[in-house]
Amino acid sequence: MEVEKKKLVCCKCQKELEMMKTDFTYLGHSFFTELPRCPGCGQVYIPEELVRSRISEVEMQLEDK
Amino acid sequence: MINDEVIYETWSVCPVCLKRITARRVKKDDGIFLIKTCPEHGQFESIIWRGYADLNNWIGASAAAFEKEPPCPDECGLCNDHLRKTCCVLLNVTDRCNLQCRFCLADQDNNSADPPLEEILLSLPKIVEKGKSLVQLSGGEPTMRDDLPHIVRAIKEAGAGYVQLNSNGIRLGEDKEYVKELAQAGLSFVFMQFDGTNDTINLSLRGKGLLKIKQQAIDNCAEYNIGVTLVPTLVRSVNTENIGELVRYAISQSPKVRGIHFQPVSYFGRIPEKPSGQDRITLDELIHEIECQTTGLVKSEDLLPSCCDHPLCGFHGDFVVDNDKLFALLNQENKGNNCCDSSAADKNREFVAKRWLRPVKNEQQEQCCCGDIHNMEYFLNKVSAHGFTITSMMFQDAGNIDFSRLRRCSLHVYDNGKHIPFCAYYLTAWRG
Repeated sequence: MEVEKKKLVCCKCQKELEMMKTDFTYLGHSFFTELPRCPGCGQVYIPEELVRSRISEVEMQLEDK
Repeated sequence: MINDEVIYETWSVCPVCLKRITARRVKKDDGIFLIKTCPEHGQFESIIWRGYADLNNWIGASAAAFEKEPPCPDECGLCNDHLRKTCCVLLNVTDRCNLQCRFCLADQDNNSADPPLEEILLSLPKIVEKGKSLVQLSGGEPTMRDDLPHIVRAIKEAGAGYVQLNSNGIRLGEDKEYVKELAQAGLSFVFMQFDGTNDTINLSLRGKGLLKIKQQAIDNCAEYNIGVTLVPTLVRSVNTENIGELVRYAISQSPKVRGIHFQPVSYFGRIPEKPSGQDRITLDELIHEIECQTTGLVKSEDLLPSCCDHPLCGFHGDFVVDNDKLFALLNQENKGNNCCDSSAADKNREFVAKRWLRPVKNEQQEQCCCGDIHNMEYFLNKVSAHGFTITSMMFQDAGNIDFSRLRRCSLHVYDNGKHIPFCAYYLTAWRG
């Protein structure tokens, strides 16, 4: 079953978020990935599941023992 | 000399009689030395830092002074003054070996009987902490035993997190069926003696050309998904000019090879002669040589001091191999992270294991092929399959043992019910 993709709207600009390349940095390293972003104000929405999985994995890989 | 400066007061042993004596780290014009005087055998000094980097900056704030005379090494096994739990426990399964090396810390004995299998199995509850332990099988040459797969399986069944094999690689190269049995038994990774990229080095240190068989050992381990870390013993004027080539070779073998672990030679067990000051390869010198000889492929700032063990006992660098280049994961922002607490040994163990273990084969697919290491998905796929470490351990011998280092040791040899810090276990007097 295909999960219906939810529309995400910026609460400030009321514009629909678009998938855009987004940079993030951690411990001196920078990475990029595609994230929903407001074409007006540039605010980014980071889904919780992405934080708990891939982003947290990147953090763990960069952290020392 | 008049400009000599005592920078730290510590304890050591007389290298001749092994009596416990005070020692000082002394800064001189040409480096930092450990200097000690035995009332009976006189003064000894050993260079510990040549000055390629700032020692205080490397050690950080970890150099706590001794409040009283330590009981080291007489009460090793472990005493209440010891500051670290066990990160890795080393189990000697034989004294026999199929090489006769110039240097051998274990000083192998081919006439000695192996500890019986039953004895090893009975000792496992004292060695293995369920879900945690990293057990290193060592010797002699552990692969001299045909029942090694049985031992590996028993250690895993006892609950060890990881089993590491310390080997010269000869049997692993010659006997693929044996490698298969080790893999099926649950062997996690191999630390393989690998001293040089040419057989002149092997002939000098090991008495025979070994390059071909070691390559075969790497390939056989790869076939059964066992990660291999190459371990060069560095001896001045034998392979110290080969450091850069060794790093490049190891990288070229990724992902079969998971890293390279340098061990500057220590003078315990069987040694051809006592070291002169020039023979010693210091930690800062090794880092300098890695950077110079790899022409910038590895930068000195990518290599951080041990924080579980004493900073003078080693360094570690964590990388991803990406198109024959190294992407450094650690940098100076990681330095000084708070890992020197009671769980330091646990953290250290998980760090090394996650790098030296190969991921299971179905996780090795690189789904993203954009080729940009800064792309999060590409990075995560790469780091799992092509993680690579450059590490070093500076073992201490009777000449340079420093109890401020020893009491932070987390690599312990299991012997007769005791866990003994590695350098205390192998400590041998220099005769004559």
